Amino acid sequence: MLESLQFIFAPQIINGLSIGVAVILMALGLTIIFGLLDVINMSHGEFYAAGAFLSVSLMSLGISFWWTLMIVPLLLVPFGIAMQELLIKKVFHHKDRHILTLLLTFGVATILEDLYKVIWGANTAKPATPITGASDILGVMFPNYRIFLMIFGAFLILSVWLFIYKTSIGSIVRAATLDRDMSASLGIPVNKVYALTFAFGVALAALAGVLLAPIYSVFPTMGKDFILLAFAVVIVGGLGSIKGAVIAGLLLTQLQSLSSLYISPVWSDPIVFSVMVLVLMFKPSGLYTGMKNG
Amino acid sequence: MDKYQQKAVRMMEWLMLIAAIILVVIGKLTGDTFFLRLATEALIFGGLALSVDLLLGIVGLLSLGQALYFGFGAYLSALILRDWMPSFWLCIVVVAISSALLGWITSFIALRSKGVYFALISFGLAQVFAKSVYNTRSLGASDGMVGVPVIQIPFPFITLNLGDAITFFVITFIFMAGIYFTLKYFLYTPLGRIWNGVRSNESRLPYLGYNTQVPKRIAFVLAAVVAAVSGALYPMLRGFVSPELMYFSVSGNAVITVVLGGVGTLIGALFGSSLLMILKSVIGTLTLHHHIVIGLLFVIIVIFAPKGIVGMLSAKLKVKGAQ
Repeated sequence: MLESLQFIFAPQIINGLSIGVAVILMALGLTIIFGLLDVINMSHGEFYAAGAFLSVSLMSLGISFWWTLMIVPLLLVPFGIAMQELLIKKVFHHKDRHILTLLLTFGVATILEDLYKVIWGANTAKPATPITGASDILGVMFPNYRIFLMIFGAFLILSVWLFIYKTSIGSIVRAATLDRDMSASLGIPVNKVYALTFAFGVALAALAGVLLAPIYSVFPTMGKDFILLAFAVVIVGGLGSIKGAVIAGLLLTQLQSLSSLYISPVWSDPIVFSVMVLVLMFKPSGLYTGMKNG
Repeated sequence: MDKYQQKAVRMMEWLMLIAAIILVVIGKLTGDTFFLRLATEALIFGGLALSVDLLLGIVGLLSLGQALYFGFGAYLSALILRDWMPSFWLCIVVVAISSALLGWITSFIALRSKGVYFALISFGLAQVFAKSVYNTRSLGASDGMVGVPVIQIPFPFITLNLGDAITFFVITFIFMAGIYFTLKYFLYTPLGRIWNGVRSNESRLPYLGYNTQVPKRIAFVLAAVVAAVSGALYPMLRGFVSPELMYFSVSGNAVITVVLGGVGTLIGALFGSSLLMILKSVIGTLTLHHHIVIGLLFVIIVIFAPKGIVGMLSAKLKVKGAQ
C-alpha cells in the first residue's frame, strides 16, 4: 500500500503538479482579463506558443534559458498593449461585446498560428533542459527541472495573488473590475489599466510557454492544444476568480494525471471536459465568482 | 428587421439563386465540376451556419459547439450508408430523429446557463463528444471513416445519382433552401416572436405570461436537427468523415460565417459560407498561408462591419432610400 503510494501515486502527483502550475499561470491571465475586461481571450494560447518560440529563438542566439525567462514576457508586453488599444477597445462599447471580442481574439489566434508556421516552420523544436539530472525524494527519482518548475511556478502564482490583493496597483485593478465608471470618476486611468492588465495576462501566458518549452516540444499549434485545458480550468474555477483558477487548476491537472493510472491517457481530455460540463450544470458560474474577495 | 434589411435579404436571396443557376450552366457547358463540388460543400457548411444563426441571431444564444450536431449527423449518415443501407431518405429521417433526441437531451445540460456560460458549456459538450469519438476505435478513431458509397435518390418518376456533381449541387441547393424557408417561416409564427422576445429581454417575458424555457428548448432542438441533417450530406459528398468535423475550429468557423453574412438574417449564413469558401480557395491558390489573410479579414469585419454583409447592404439601401 505504502509502496504503491510512493512509487505510483507520488510521481503522478508530481507530474500533475508541474503541469498544473503552468496551466494555472495561463488560467490566471485568462481569468484576470475576463474579470476586468469581460473578454474571453481566444488568442491566449497563441501567446503561450509565442513565449515558447521566442525562448527557443533567443536560446539559439546564445542567450541562456534564464535570461529568456525574463526577456520573453517583457517582449510580449507591447504586443498585449497594442492588441487591447488597437483591436479590443474598438468593439468594447458594442452591446454584443462578449461575442465580438471572442470573435476578434479568435481571428487574431488564426493569424498568429499561421504566422508561426511562416516564421518558425511547421516542425517541432525541443530546447535542451536547462536543469539536468534528477533528485532522490523519498526514494523516488524526480527530474530536477520539474521540481524547479513546481517551486518557481508556485512562487509566481503567489506573487500574482499578492500583487492583485496586497498592492495598491492591484487594488486599482480590482476597483476597475468592480465598477468601471466609478473608478474612472475617482481619477483612475481606466484605459491604461485595461491595456496594462491585458499585457500582464499576455506576459503570464508567455512565461508559461517559456517554462513548459523544455518539457513539451515547441510547434505552431501547441497553443491550441493547451488553451482548452486552461479554459476548462477558468470555467470550473469561475470566470474572473483568481482563487478559483488556482484551485480548479490543481484539481483538474491532478484528475488528469491520476486518472491516467487507471484508464488510457487519451481519455483524460473527455474526463476533464465532462467535469467542466458537470460543474457548469450545477453551478453555472463556476466554483468561485469574481475577483473582489481574496 | 426593418424595411431596408428585408429588402437587402430579398436581394441576397435572388443573388444566391442567380449564382446557383450560373454555376450549374457553367458546369453543364464546361464539364468542370470542381467549383460545383466546392459550392456544394459551402452550402453544407452553410446549413451548419444556419443553425448557429437560429440560436445566435434569433434566440440570442451563442453556441460554440454546434459542430457537435454537425459531426453527429455526418458520422451517423456515414454509418447508415456504409454499413446498413445506402438509402438517402432513410438516412435523412434517421439522422433528423436521432439528432432531435440528442438535441433534446443536451438541451437540459446547455440551457441551464445563459449568456457567456451557455457559450462555454456548448463548447465543453462538443469537446467531450469530439474527443470521445477521436478515441473510439470502432468509429475509426483519429482516421475517421472512409468508403461511404455514392448513393442514388429514388423519386417517384426518376432516380438521381449523387455521384454527378451537378445533381448533387442542385439537390443540396434545394435542401438548404427548404431549411432556410422553413426557419424563415418559423420567425413569423407566435413561437418566432417569442424567440425574438427572448433575445431582446428574456427576464421580461415571464411577466407577460410567457414561458421562455420551452421556446428556447424548441429552438435548440431545431438547431441541432438543422446542423445534423446538413452534416448528413457531408459524407455523401466527400465519401469520408473525420473527427475534425466536430472540432472547435468547425464551430468557430460557423460563427465567423454568420457574423460575416449578418447575424440574425439567416440568408447571411448561407451567403457568408459561400463567400468564405470562395475566399479560401482563391487565397489558397495564391499562398499556402491563407489563414493569415482569413484571420485579418475576420478582424477587419468584426471591427468595421460587425453587422456583416446584410448590414452593410441595408445601410446602403437606407442611404439610397433617404435621398
